[in-house]
Amino acid sequence: MPGVYLSFPFCGQKCTYCNFGSGVFPQSLSEEYLAALKHEIAAFGWNWTPDTLFLGGGTPSLMEPDVIEDLLDAVPGKPWREATLEAAPGSFDAAKVQAWIRGGVNRVSLGAQSFVTAELRRTGRRHTAQTVEADCALLRDRGITNFNLDLIAGLPGQTPASFQESLDEIARLDPPHVSVYMLEVDEDSRLGLEILNHGSRYGAGDVPGDDAIVEMYETAVDRLAALGMHRYEISNFAKPGFESEHNLKYWRLEPYAGFGADAHSLDGGVRWRNVESPSEYVKRWREGRSPAEDRTEACFAEEKFFVGLRLSEGVRATDTERDFYREPIARFIEQGLLEDGGGVLRLTRRGVLLSNEVFEEFVNP
Amino acid sequence: MDPQHIRNFSIIAHIDHGKSTLADRLLEFTGALSQREMMNQVLDTMDLERERGITIKAHAVRLEYKADDGQLYQLNLIDTPGHVDFTYEVSRSLQACEGALLVVDASQGVEAQTLANTYLALHHNLEIIPVINKIDLPAAEPERIREQIEQVVGLDASGAILASAKQGIGIKEILENVVLLVPPPAGDPKAPLRALIFDSWFDPYRGVIMLMRIVDGAIRVGQKIRLWATNKTFEVEGLGYQTPKPVPTQELSAGEAGFIFANVKTISDAQIGDTITDAINPCEEPLPGFQEAKPMVFAGLYPVESHEHNLLREALEKLRLNDSSFNFEPESSVALGFGFRCGFLGLLHLEIVQERLEREFNIDLITTAPGVRYKITKTSGELIEVDNPTRFPNPSEIARTEEPIIEATVITREEYLGEILKLLEEKRGEQKKFEYIGGGRVLLTYELPLNEIVLDFYDRLKSASRGYASLDYHLSGFRASPMVKLDVLVAGEPVDALSMIVHRDFAYERGKILIERLRKLIPRQMFEVALQAAIGNKVIARETIPAMRKNVIAKCYGGDISRKRKLLEKQKEGKKRMKRVGKVEIPQEAFLAVLKVGNSGDDQD
Repeated sequence: MPGVYLSFPFCGQKCTYCNFGSGVFPQSLSEEYLAALKHEIAAFGWNWTPDTLFLGGGTPSLMEPDVIEDLLDAVPGKPWREATLEAAPGSFDAAKVQAWIRGGVNRVSLGAQSFVTAELRRTGRRHTAQTVEADCALLRDRGITNFNLDLIAGLPGQTPASFQESLDEIARLDPPHVSVYMLEVDEDSRLGLEILNHGSRYGAGDVPGDDAIVEMYETAVDRLAALGMHRYEISNFAKPGFESEHNLKYWRLEPYAGFGADAHSLDGGVRWRNVESPSEYVKRWREGRSPAEDRTEACFAEEKFFVGLRLSEGVRATDTERDFYREPIARFIEQGLLEDGGGVLRLTRRGVLLSNEVFEEFVNP
Repeated sequence: MDPQHIRNFSIIAHIDHGKSTLADRLLEFTGALSQREMMNQVLDTMDLERERGITIKAHAVRLEYKADDGQLYQLNLIDTPGHVDFTYEVSRSLQACEGALLVVDASQGVEAQTLANTYLALHHNLEIIPVINKIDLPAAEPERIREQIEQVVGLDASGAILASAKQGIGIKEILENVVLLVPPPAGDPKAPLRALIFDSWFDPYRGVIMLMRIVDGAIRVGQKIRLWATNKTFEVEGLGYQTPKPVPTQELSAGEAGFIFANVKTISDAQIGDTITDAINPCEEPLPGFQEAKPMVFAGLYPVESHEHNLLREALEKLRLNDSSFNFEPESSVALGFGFRCGFLGLLHLEIVQERLEREFNIDLITTAPGVRYKITKTSGELIEVDNPTRFPNPSEIARTEEPIIEATVITREEYLGEILKLLEEKRGEQKKFEYIGGGRVLLTYELPLNEIVLDFYDRLKSASRGYASLDYHLSGFRASPMVKLDVLVAGEPVDALSMIVHRDFAYERGKILIERLRKLIPRQMFEVALQAAIGNKVIARETIPAMRKNVIAKCYGGDISRKRKLLEKQKEGKKRMKRVGKVEIPQEAFLAVLKVGNSGDDQD
């Protein structure tokens, strides 16, 4: 069954590490945006019914209770097997959580990022470890036991030792799902751009080196495993049965439809994306034009590897594929980046960290 | 024309002191070009010349001037290249003249290069007319400059003409002075033909076109001529002069300058400085001073895209049609593939050839570190000349190495003296002369190894003096110096394109700096990579590039697969542009690192 992604790209503040199109926009834009979003959902053909939903951002938890219920009501298939809402710590109360549940939400992803106050402040985040602890308690109290906590490895000023403190908090809060994202340095985030330009704003000079980030990540893999959370994707860890059903669809190349600014879709073997900017998205709606662009044929033969190998379950390669990729597969096995067992290719522990070197061979071979 | 009514003169000036503007004004004043036809720097015709404000090729323009004495004169303005790399070409152009305007900027004063060219002109017995230009500028100090000309150059400057080429001030006075002071040509119109070639270039329709000055006799269309150096004969197909537009004529006689074409197919048959004579009735002696063009600076040129190798060969062949002073031969490098070892007159010449290849032929180039030609006596007694590090013999086979030495003249301001002396020391210079020349300026003469000049000397000199230093040099001989070949090994494999020849005393330090720089430029690989600098079998410095730890995209947000694909494609493209040596991917910037190791001490991250 396909999934649905809804994009709400509005935030209370723009985090320095954020490389998405999300951000702070005028209130009036977000009202028009929601109208446009509901229109796009209604105009969709719906020749299938979704069984998973992901309301991402931005910061969807900023939406008022009635607004969010109204939005979720526009999507067919309720109650969904899994419906996730992304939330910023400290941005919701009991009334909001109640409204989410009424709307069909049964999973929450909480952007904790770090439990060390100094690290959070430098990225523009205003919450503390206590905020996250209170949020987890609130969610559990209202019956949402399936939730995720995000961590970032590589924040300015972060060290393997301070990262251990964040992992200590994870152990205490005992969520069923954790994502550990190694900081991405690119020109799309303020921090990334500053690092690339050798500047010092946003703590760019204090960003830990590759070796330190690798140490943090490896520690997380071990400690989360000890907590019963296995790695099922490069950045995702879950207790058995708590893997994100919706996100797995991306990696298994199953169909999904995305709505809203910068939302991506895969349906009927075709990929497309919506315009990135929320104001452009609203403009298209006012002019009666579709927000979709870049419609291209999906290349499953390549994606199967460079997307599928992200999963710990690996990729079952056919004889033809094994023959076609014989040289790189043999090389990666020899270099200890890939392992081959029971007809399935998987990244090794070292291979996960060097996965781009492996994936590269499967792109435009 | 009667030689009594001919004046041949040239203009000596430092870059930016206004030579081209003055030449334009002279053309305009004498009516050679109407104001409407004027475009700035008419004489600098190549794009490169106009952009850089320098003259690369020589020109000869005939001006008709009716002087105050009521007589009509033929003035031939022979413009010369203005750079130290082209001293020989300059000397040939000067040899074609009887006088020269010495143009000095009224606020900047005499520069090293002007000085060198003025001495060259005096050596050829030219009458020098000092012109103080740009007197309209607020910073102009004509009196101070007048004194400086007398003191530094040793010329009587009391009659120096105050001018502003830009404003058109002093132009008539200059022309009158040329007529009055420059001696008429002294050749014999009835003697057998003797003409001096002072420039030549290739024209696709007419073959080689030569600029020449008739010294004795005359030359006519249809005449059989002989070129002295090659002893080849040709028939004159066309003759003419430039105004600057080419004007055909049937005959040119003693004292006149102009162009000639005679179905000469290759530029090496019409070498600068050679003598043209009559094939049937030749002169007895050629004109003095002829030298074969001799490259002094050598570098490898490689196409970035290896499949452009043939394109590069064709481009080099075409360029050589127009410039016989550089040469090339195929060479191959393990690291860079197939390319060419090229010899140039100097660094500017190298840059010009490089830029013309990139601009006119659209080829991306990697240039290896420029070097000089060493004389090596082997232990077997054999004497060889080596300009390519890959041909440098093993240390055990070398009995003695000698390196080319130059005599360099630097003029600068006192306040930069400390930095400049330090630089000259560092470059193994030996002081020959130290002289205060007034106005807070100092003239230094040093003997320096040419090898030390070719890496980064100009840039260092410029930054040490904030641009207030001028340089001139000429080759003064060879000196025994212990030179060694410094090799770089990447993961145990020697990378030939990174080898260089250095003085033994500097080898350790340069090797260390070079591999430190390479460590930063070569990206981490899948395995640890050792970098070594070695002389022969002896490793003198070592660095390690640790194995790559992570290359991973953490997020795969909202199913955005296309972003991920683009990133991987970009990574793949980046690797394609690297050169693979053994198992190691080396980016192109690494090969340029070797160019920058001259400046020890201020290696920045």
